[in-house]
Amino acid sequence: MANLILKNVSKTFGETEVIKAVNLEVSNGEFVVFVGPSGCGKSTLLRLITGLEEVTDGQIIIEDKDVTHLKPSKREVAMVFQSYALFPHLTVAENIGFGLKLAKVPKAEIVARVKEVASVLRVESLLARKPRQLSGGQRQRVAIGRSIIRQPKVFLFDEPLSNLDAALRVVMRIEITRLHQNLQATMIYVTHDQTEAMTLADRIVVLNEGRIEQVGAPLELYEKPANKFVAGFIGSPAMNFIKGTVETADERMFARLGPHVMEINKPDLKPGLAIEVGIRPEHIAIVAPEEGTLTAEVEIIEKLGVESMLYLKTEASQDLLTVRTDPRQTIRTGERLGLKLPVSECHFFDQKGNLV
Amino acid sequence: MVEQVATLPSSREFNPWPVVVFTCLLVLAGLFLAPTIGVILSSIKTTREIAEGGLWNIPTRLFLGNFVEVLANPAVHRYFLNTLLVTLPATAASIALGVLAGYVFAKLPFWGSNLIFLVLISGMFFPPQVILIPLFQFFNSLGLIDTLWPIIFIHTALGIPICTLLMRNFFATVPNSLREAAILEGANEFQVLTRVALPLSLPALAVLATLQFTWIWNDFLWPLIFTQSDEKRTIMVGIVNLKGQYSVAWGVQGALSLVASLPTLIVFLFFQRYFIKGMTMGAVKG
Repeated sequence: MANLILKNVSKTFGETEVIKAVNLEVSNGEFVVFVGPSGCGKSTLLRLITGLEEVTDGQIIIEDKDVTHLKPSKREVAMVFQSYALFPHLTVAENIGFGLKLAKVPKAEIVARVKEVASVLRVESLLARKPRQLSGGQRQRVAIGRSIIRQPKVFLFDEPLSNLDAALRVVMRIEITRLHQNLQATMIYVTHDQTEAMTLADRIVVLNEGRIEQVGAPLELYEKPANKFVAGFIGSPAMNFIKGTVETADERMFARLGPHVMEINKPDLKPGLAIEVGIRPEHIAIVAPEEGTLTAEVEIIEKLGVESMLYLKTEASQDLLTVRTDPRQTIRTGERLGLKLPVSECHFFDQKGNLV
Repeated sequence: MVEQVATLPSSREFNPWPVVVFTCLLVLAGLFLAPTIGVILSSIKTTREIAEGGLWNIPTRLFLGNFVEVLANPAVHRYFLNTLLVTLPATAASIALGVLAGYVFAKLPFWGSNLIFLVLISGMFFPPQVILIPLFQFFNSLGLIDTLWPIIFIHTALGIPICTLLMRNFFATVPNSLREAAILEGANEFQVLTRVALPLSLPALAVLATLQFTWIWNDFLWPLIFTQSDEKRTIMVGIVNLKGQYSVAWGVQGALSLVASLPTLIVFLFFQRYFIKGMTMGAVKG
């Protein structure tokens, strides 16, 4: 059952259209991550769902109820803010119970529910403290506590981990995953960090310039990007792109990449078409210089321990190519290598960035 | 070794600037304190002592008769009551209106709100004398002359610009996400104001309470214009009224002046810790 439906949702600020007719269905209990570069509209889309911003056009439906013009508090959604947005003058317990107190829930019930939520998030010992006496991770937990206590239908997270340091981010990421498993709640999570997106999401929504570029499971986006934007955005280090043209000879098809050619099996492509070949760093195989599709010179080597990144200069592309290798391989800077690009792992895009 | 360093010639060179600065500060402090000291000295002397030795003589004994006379005078009680009846509602009303307007300007801006804000603030730059005659005519036509109402209304109105300015600027420092978090939790705009924005703005409120209370309490002009009978006079006008018909009762006036300044002092001391915080607000984070 769909828990949240966005139908042709648009938003304009003055003359600028920041959200362009977005359609999306989120099922009950699903963890959906909105990801995209800054300014792509992901936070705006979240604020439209909360009702903090009014839609210009379109419809928002939560559990079969049209909430498009309902007040934020009537939508039964809860949001965790990037800045935590804890009330500095209230204790942790008062922060968590704030919404219940406004709803005039009996005092004893508030105390009991705050305790329950605090034990779930392991902040029981902090209930009497003020937010300024808490660490970043504790504040984040309290903010999550405030959002779960009212048992909303949809949880919204607006870059909740971006103020935390790298180590704590990993811990909180796992906590959020655990929370999602425990609550079985519908969660929508905004981030610009694609690692967070890949690790947390059931489905990822890639946004760019107010439009949905692609929706899919993390691996689906990684392996079958619908366009060059998604291909380049998902995956770290990013996919390599090499410009080329389609050629035919002896009824076989080739892609000409600078001085090199590689055979491709794309009968529907017209000769002369300008294309871009995309290939992930781990799919490029290193061979002897004379055996490769391309020849390359090693410019920089990054040793990361578990793997090494080679940045290679080729005649096929202005940009350096990135190749992921075994760290035990003895390759030196300046060395000449051959590169093999397996056609099955290559993605072909036309000049507009669409998959061909 | 240590002593050698301490007695290096460069560190012993005479620097005249601190001396000059401190001398100037001392002279200024003396000038500012002189009237207060004069008032204190005159309040603890008999009229005869003042007549014989002048205001500035140090009295040979402490005479508290002036204070007894002032505190026992039913007219003085009336002055105090009248001043409170003006100061408390006008302070409360101007701050309340400033809070409401400041919140809207800071958190709920609308088309043209900045212009309205500027117009409102520009009210601070009108000298009261300019609006004195029209206001007198206005309240006269309402039949409110020789009541406390015009003074309450005028002080409330005159306080709105500064209250709005200060509260708007303070509310602007309250993060928007706090307001949005409260709204998502089910708060309406008034609850955001009373449960989130105001509790965070206690320093600003303390500053305003002190400023407004002091200004209104110490005001001389408006009560002088709008009240005529002795039963409606406020304390500052009352001090002047206390002078005798043929001679000036320096001692009694001095004593009343001191008693009259006590409430503002108490208000300041009460709000002091917030006041200092408020004056430096926004200067540093935290």
